[in-house]
This record gives sequence, C-alpha cells and structure tokens, in this order.
Amino acid sequence: MDLQLSDKHVKFRDELRAWLKANMGRPWREELRDPKASEDSLMELRRGWQRKLYEAGYLGMDWPAEWGGRGATEVEKSIFEAEMSGADAPPILNTLGIGLLGPALIHHGSEAQRRRFIPPMLSGEEIWCQGFSEPGAGSDLAALRTSAAIDGDHFVLNGQKIWTTFGPWADWIFVLARTDSKDRYGGISFILCKLDTPGVTVRRLRQITGESEFGEVFFEDARVPRENLVGQIGEGWRIAMTVLAFERGAMGLAAAEKYGRDLRLLAETCKELGREGGAVREKLARLLVENEVLRANGLRMLANLADGKVPGPESSIEKIFWSEFDKRFRETALDILGPGGQLLRTSPEARPDVDWSREFLWSRAGTIYSGSSEVQRNIISKRVLNLPQEGR
Amino acid sequence: MKFDLSEDQALLQSSTRDFLGSELPIDKTRNVMEHHADGYEPAQWRSFAEMGYIGLTLPATAGGQGLGTIELAIVLEEMGRVCAPGPFLDVVLAASLLAAAGKQDALLADVVSGKTLVTIARQDSPFSGNHIEPSRFENGRVRGTKYFVPFAARTDALLVTTPQGIVLVRAPYEVVPLQTIDLGQRFAEVKLDNEGTLIGGPELLEKVDLLAAVGASAMMLGLMSRALEVTLGYVQTRQAFKRPIGGFQALQHRLADMLLKTESTRSAVYRAAWCLDTGDRDTALACATAKAYGGDASRYVCGEAIQMHGGIGFTWELDLHFYFKRAKTLEQFYGSTEVQLEKAFAAAGY
Repeated sequence: MDLQLSDKHVKFRDELRAWLKANMGRPWREELRDPKASEDSLMELRRGWQRKLYEAGYLGMDWPAEWGGRGATEVEKSIFEAEMSGADAPPILNTLGIGLLGPALIHHGSEAQRRRFIPPMLSGEEIWCQGFSEPGAGSDLAALRTSAAIDGDHFVLNGQKIWTTFGPWADWIFVLARTDSKDRYGGISFILCKLDTPGVTVRRLRQITGESEFGEVFFEDARVPRENLVGQIGEGWRIAMTVLAFERGAMGLAAAEKYGRDLRLLAETCKELGREGGAVREKLARLLVENEVLRANGLRMLANLADGKVPGPESSIEKIFWSEFDKRFRETALDILGPGGQLLRTSPEARPDVDWSREFLWSRAGTIYSGSSEVQRNIISKRVLNLPQEGR
Repeated sequence: MKFDLSEDQALLQSSTRDFLGSELPIDKTRNVMEHHADGYEPAQWRSFAEMGYIGLTLPATAGGQGLGTIELAIVLEEMGRVCAPGPFLDVVLAASLLAAAGKQDALLADVVSGKTLVTIARQDSPFSGNHIEPSRFENGRVRGTKYFVPFAARTDALLVTTPQGIVLVRAPYEVVPLQTIDLGQRFAEVKLDNEGTLIGGPELLEKVDLLAAVGASAMMLGLMSRALEVTLGYVQTRQAFKRPIGGFQALQHRLADMLLKTESTRSAVYRAAWCLDTGDRDTALACATAKAYGGDASRYVCGEAIQMHGGIGFTWELDLHFYFKRAKTLEQFYGSTEVQLEKAFAAAGY
C-alpha cells in the first residue's frame, strides 16, 4: 500500500500548479457573480479557457499523440481535475465532446472521423452535446425510440432527445438512434449530427436554477450522411456503454477539493457570524468527516488507476457518495446560514464567497444525471453483489 | 501509488484469517463469551503472542516485529471478522504506551510474550459529563475510581491516566465488574488507593489515541464486512413470495448502501493507517475521520444485517447480535464519535 504520488506525478502536478498560477484569471465563483456576466458571456469565457488549456497540452492528455496525447493516463487526468477543482478554475466548455465523444472516436471511430472532429473539439471551435435521454427513455436508456432510417447514403432521423446538456450552445450532437426497432440493444446506432441540419430544432429548457444549460432536440426527417455513423450499424449500445465508463472515472478527489474549499469558507463564515455553538460545530464536523471519506475513496481510486487497474463498479460507489453528499452538504449549509443562504448571487447581501443558493439547487442534479443514484445501486447489486435481478 | 496490500501484507492477511478461522470459530467464541468468567480464554491469549500479534508494531528491541499500523489494521480487521473476544486492542494500546514511555523493558517484554496483561484505565466517570473528579497521583500514590477499565479483573497492572501523568499501578486493586451488552469486551470499575510509578506525561496519549482510533475502526471494518457477507448469503437463500428475498429491489438498494459504507470505511481506515506510518500531515484528520465515519457505518451495517434477517435476526441464537454489540462498544470507546468530531474540527483548523 502506498498513497504517495510518484515523483513523475508530483512533477506533473507542480508544473500544472505553476501553469495555473500564471495563466488562470479570476476564480470561477468570481466570474459567476460578476454583475456583467450573462449565460452567453460565461459560455464564451469557458470556450476561451478551454482553448488555453488545449494549447498548453492539458486536454486529451491520455489520447494518442497526434490527437493531443502526451503519454498521460487516467492518473494525470484525475490529478488535473483535482487541481482545477482546487484552484476553482472555470470549467471547460466542451466537457461532453472531450469527455465522451473523444474516447468513442478514438476507440470506435474511423480515421477520417478522428481527423475531422477531434481537433475542433479540443480547441473549442465545435461544441458537442449528448443525445442519449428521451422523454420515454431515461434510466431505461435502451427504450429509446428516435429512429434512423437508411435512405441511400443518408440516415433520416426522427424523434426527440431531452435533458441535452449544452444543447443551446452546441454545434453538433452525438445521437443514439434506432436502426432496428425490434432489437432492443443491437438495434441502436451511434450517429453524429450537425445541429443546423434542416429538420433539427433545439429548444431551451429552463432548469430549477433558472438557467438553461440543457435543452431538448427534435428531429423531423433530418438527413445525416452515412459517413457520420460511428462504428458499425447496431454497435451504438456497446459504444455508449464504453463511453459512459469514461464519464465515471476518478471524480472523488476533484469533488473533495471543491467541497473542502466551500466547507472551509462556511466554517469561516460561521465564526464571523458567531455561529460557534455545539449544534453548528457538530454539523460542520460531520460534513468535514464525510468529505474526508470522499477524499479517501478518491485516493484509493487514483492509487488503483496508478496501479494499472481499470475502474469497475466501484466508480458507482464514488458517484453515489459524492452526489448524495453534495445534497446533504448544501442543505446543511443553508440550515446553518439561515434565510440569507437563500439569497441569489445578484443580491448585494449574498455571501461573496460561495453562491450557496445556486449550489443548493444544483446539488439536486448530481443524483440524477450520468446514471441516477438508483441506477448506480442497481449496478452495484448486480455486478458487485451478484444479486438476482428483478423483472429484468 | 497502490491501494492493494503488498505481498507480505497479503500474506499476513491470509495467515491471520486461517489462524483465526481455526482458533476462533464463532461457535467456540459464542461458548467462551457465554460461559467464561473473563469473556475470553486466557489460555488462548498465549497463541496471539506466539503469532507475534501483540508486539506487531513494537520495535524488535522490545520483542516486537517492527511492523506498521497498516499491518496492525490488517490483523484487527480479521479479529473483527470473527468478532474476537478479549483484550487484544487494549493490550496493544497499553504496550504502545509503555514503549512510548520507555524504561519499562522488562514489563513490556512480558506483555509482548503474553505472560502479563496490562490495559489502560482511562474513564473517570461512568457517563459523559462535566462532573468528573479525576484520579490523582500524589506522593507516590494514585487515588480515585476508574470506570470501564478493559478486562481489569485479569490484568496484572494498569496504566492509569491522571492530570499528573500516566501512572503504572500493579495489582492487586479493587475490581468491581461492570456488565455491559458486549460479552466479549469485559469492563470493570477499579477503586484505586495504590502505590504507583509515574511513567510519563499525559502527552504520551496523543500518539496512542491515533492508534486507538485506527485500530478500533479497523476492527469495525472487519465486523461490518462479515455482517454484510452473512446477510448476502441469507438473502440469496431465504425465500418469500416464491423467490429469494435478495431479488427485491427494496433490499438490493440497501445492500448496495451497506457495501458503500463498508468500502468507504475501508478507504478511510487504510488511508489513516498509511498516514500514521508515513507521518503524513493529514494524520490527525484521517484518524478522526476513520473512527467517526466507521463508528456510524458499522452500527448501520450490522443493524441492517439484523433487520434483513427478520425475526431470526433478533434472536440470541443468530450470531449477528454479537457483531452489532461489538460495533456499538467500539463506537463508544477508543475516542467516541463526539470526541473524534471535535478532533477532526481541530485538525482541520476550523
């Protein structure tokens, strides 16, 4: 057992820290509360920040060299995420392109597709959104009904995608669509579609935070060239599953960094407000302890990655842990702060350090997206505990 | 970086599991706990010494094996898995305190060889509260009453905490047994008006407290791992509505949470052990975290295990109650959750 970063990884981390110090502007929380900031301006800021990271070689680090790779692994990627989180750096804009589609193209795409799509994906010139969920297919993703009929050298797409993160800002969407209505898993294909294709309509959806980060995408006889098929016809489900495994990498450390910072700020606020009684202390200490367990889980995941182990269902444990903890943390923070915790960030009275009301609302998303807590528990009970499956 | 145990550590784990499997099968343990006045078999104690468990973390000069906290956690996790009765953790802590104090080589050697039993007498009151009058050490004598002294009736000497420092007191002393829920962890009230030897200041307890937190949480990890295993076996075989109850999602999701808490405790315990061994700057926070989280988690997991067994889960006949009770005992001693939360708070600089 050894939880110490290797010399190589310490060097990587220190270089990254120095780079962040020299190149990062204001912390993300300050950008968010800038009175001049709008949803559009923040998206552009993220695009510019992504470009900087790309030019410095920090995106696609674990991909082959010609696509930005630098012989890095999941370990460097996890360290990168943790450092970004620790520095409160703005998030990149093309998270879904780089996080999900990139690996799909590298593992399953054609040479021509990689050449065409990867460079603008990394630079932020082309933003991607993910067309998986549908009104009738969420946790039961394979129930999806959007169809892709073959017509000569085109697919004709019909149907609707929903909860499409970045839909309103994206240029392209990667879609899971049915090429065979009878074969539940084998009838799904993975198709790339430009959002300005005739017959494609994007509509914003307003989230509980008031923001419109996600939307819905409608396809009405939208014609997509056959060359935009990734892998083979009917291979979409398999590709989607490998890709989702990338989404569930070592997130625990990055999450623990963020929560640890917010928790420290909350503790300082409590001191300032004279909230130092036993009830408040216990609440803070319990949050602190849980966050340290999250950190320990993250270190374990990182050490396993460094040890050459492929993350398996234990990433489900990590996902449940951080997302459920996030909810408890943000609820407790509001309880401790009192009514002032509900103030919107535009209010002059709001706390200047953490946008508590937005975090409180946002925390409701984590246990739903990217495989809900219920789906994660199903994965654990099936793949780790080997329990008999109910009705499936 | 590597989370898995090294080859030597894995060997220690498997040899300990084999040894405890033959030495302390649960039927034998049940019999000992129910019928032996001491709650454990003193004759069997020598075998722990022979295996080198008592001196595991002590230097070779003190008759120990010079291994680390990770190795101690491995052994304690296995002890938890079989719900081992007896003063193992208490004696390890006392030995560590004696070693830290120094100049007690002869006594320490006897403790490590299993010849002599020493535990730490710490509690100045049966209940938590501020009406405590601590035992005092004056003019070479220690006077006062200590509560919940581990296995006091069998001890040859006690390490008594006083505001003046840690005092070594040799038997005889007046011992009044205290009956508690855990038959494998016996406590007594000890009335002291004895000669003693001051062996060191109260600060010696700091390091021992960290070891106690990791050790107790490692044992809790073993308890909950085993309780989860037993329950998984049960839900696969127990039928209701013509199918194994493990097929019901109502139980599956709770079993998933049991695994989550068990594995998260594992991360926290071994991280804390690693921190102690390497002198990491997060040691104090990591140790408090392991104990505070592990205490809640083991009670939860062992409690859920009982619930999922239904009526049989509430019987004396099923072994799970021993696990549930040990979990509660370990949670309340070796630095209770409340104590650990305060320590975490201080360690984080809040």
